[in-house]
Amino acid sequence: MAMSIEELKEKILDKALNGPKAQLYVKDFHAIDPDASPRAVKNAANDLVKEGKMVFWSSGSTTMYAAKGRAKDEETREA
Amino acid sequence: MPKHVTPLMDELEKGPWPSFVSDLKRQAEKNPQCWDIVGQMELSYKDKMTHWKHGGIVGVFGYGGGIVGRYSDVPAQFPGVAHFHTVRLNQPSSKFYRTDLLRKLCDLWEKHGSGMTNFHGSTGDLVLLGTRTEELEPLFYELTHELNWDLGGSGSNLRTPSCCLGKARCEWSCYDTQAACYGMTMKYQDEIHRPAFPYKFKFKFSGCANDCVAALARSDLSAIGTWRDQIRINQAEVKNYISGANKPNGGGVPGKTGFDIQKEVIALCPTGCMWMEGDTLKIDDAECTRCMHCLNVMPKALRPGLDQGASIMMGAKAPILDGAQLGTLIVPFIKMNPDGEFEELVEVIEKCWDWWMENGKNRERLGESIQRVGLPTFLRVMEIEALPQHVKEPRSNPYVFWRDEEVPGGFERDVKEFRKKHAQ
Ligand code: HEM
Ligand code: HEM
Ligand code: SF4
Ligand code: SF4
Repeated sequence: MAMSIEELKEKILDKALNGPKAQLYVKDFHAIDPDASPRAVKNAANDLVKEGKMVFWSSGSTTMYAAKGRAKDEETREA
Repeated sequence: MPKHVTPLMDELEKGPWPSFVSDLKRQAEKNPQCWDIVGQMELSYKDKMTHWKHGGIVGVFGYGGGIVGRYSDVPAQFPGVAHFHTVRLNQPSSKFYRTDLLRKLCDLWEKHGSGMTNFHGSTGDLVLLGTRTEELEPLFYELTHELNWDLGGSGSNLRTPSCCLGKARCEWSCYDTQAACYGMTMKYQDEIHRPAFPYKFKFKFSGCANDCVAALARSDLSAIGTWRDQIRINQAEVKNYISGANKPNGGGVPGKTGFDIQKEVIALCPTGCMWMEGDTLKIDDAECTRCMHCLNVMPKALRPGLDQGASIMMGAKAPILDGAQLGTLIVPFIKMNPDGEFEELVEVIEKCWDWWMENGKNRERLGESIQRVGLPTFLRVMEIEALPQHVKEPRSNPYVFWRDEEVPGGFERDVKEFRKKHAQ
């Protein structure tokens, strides 16, 4: 049985906030609920961005997710 | 912002060809920020390394694509390019623009950005080059509210689809490429604006095998127009080519007279399926690969068949992890029916996505995933029977692996029964 969308979002946010890696690929969230479809996991993560709890970090060719405040911010990063 | 001394950049203004350095300098007269682009590039050429910082968290609210963050790593020297974000705009199908809209867009871009553009990026988007973070939301607001224009895709999103001129201009188009491109763009808005995949994914639509958008080389999924029945032959026009009444190459090669159908058409047919019987041209359509060569050379005499649709090729990519590769034929033929909202195309796309979202690795293009699991496995995913056309080369591996369902009785056995016979 797949988790409810709310439970999935909670666990995703927890991993993004407290996991060892600050920036995660969407696939890094798949293990949270192996029964959830990749589309449901993607939608849950994207919802968290819409709610302002997570942000996208993109190189331009690929995209990662991070909890707000944990992403590498090129604007303030020293070269 | 002052001009910089840029001897290396100035070199690139020499010679008879157009120069992006001259373009930058011309724009800098209007927008001095552009002097810093020239200055920073000069420094990069001197240091032999880039001075751009790559990536970031910039974007517009609600979107996870379309804006690509770029920053200078020497902003104190070049404050004009401290932020220099790229904005991708979804180009109209086949890149047909209204000039009034282009003028408005240029005005908008000079107000909110550097004024520098790229028509177009490799994906197909109209690219606006260089703006600051605080300009992004105002730019996006005016773009969407005044010009009714949207951003394209970037990152791990579906990238902005693109198509050839198709039926708008071209007699060879075997389906309405613009309708397909627009239809898929509207259907997959969520995938274009927000990341959905392990890596980027591109669609491109060409109306025939001439492939004017280079779909075969550039897209994870390309739909290339083709036909199932016979090439339509007008034998009277064939004779006119042979006699010279129809000018060779449409008169496009000055001084060229005479047309050798044997040399220029029949001998160049890649499958050798054409021949003359007296003065009648014959084609063995079962052997024809629909390469378009003969139709290109004799457009008045030969036309695509009437049972038209598209072949689906998958897995093209540029050299990132592995070498570059062209798309591989996956689905030989589908009908491309705009009235049915391209249902056969949608089925192919979604079957592929469902598998790739689960099985693709981070930053692995579809073509690399296919290579990793092998084409036979991917064909099973796509529920396609393997055809001779799927075979790239004769086998070099002597092992034949059978799957359970291919073997009468399968591989299941009763271990206890087996032990009874052998383990005593
Ligand atoms: C009906 C019974 C058997 C069949 C049909 C069979 C068949 C084969 C075949 C086709 C090969 C490959 C030969 C090659 O590629 O050069 C092979 C190799 C081998 N077989 Fe059997 N085999 C049988 C029984 C056995 C038994 C009973 C043993 C040992 C107790 C054995 C030990 C080996 C070994 C060690 C090799 C590898 C030889 C090498 O290194 O080239 N086989 N066998
Ligand atoms: C120090 C002891 C051993 C050494 C250095 C050794 C070395 C090798 C080497 C170099 C090969 C060729 C591998 C290849 O071509 O890919 C081989 C194959 C083989 N050895 Fe040994 N071996 C040793 C002991 C044994 C023993 C004790 C057995 C059986 C009880 C054995 C059974 C085999 C078999 C069946 C093959 C063929 C495997 C195949 O064809 O795939 N070996 N061994
Ligand atoms: S790809 Fe074919 S149909 Fe499309 S514009 Fe080129 S020649 Fe015409
Ligand atoms: S389309 Fe190509 S393969 Fe087919 S008959 Fe013409 S030249 Fe030969």
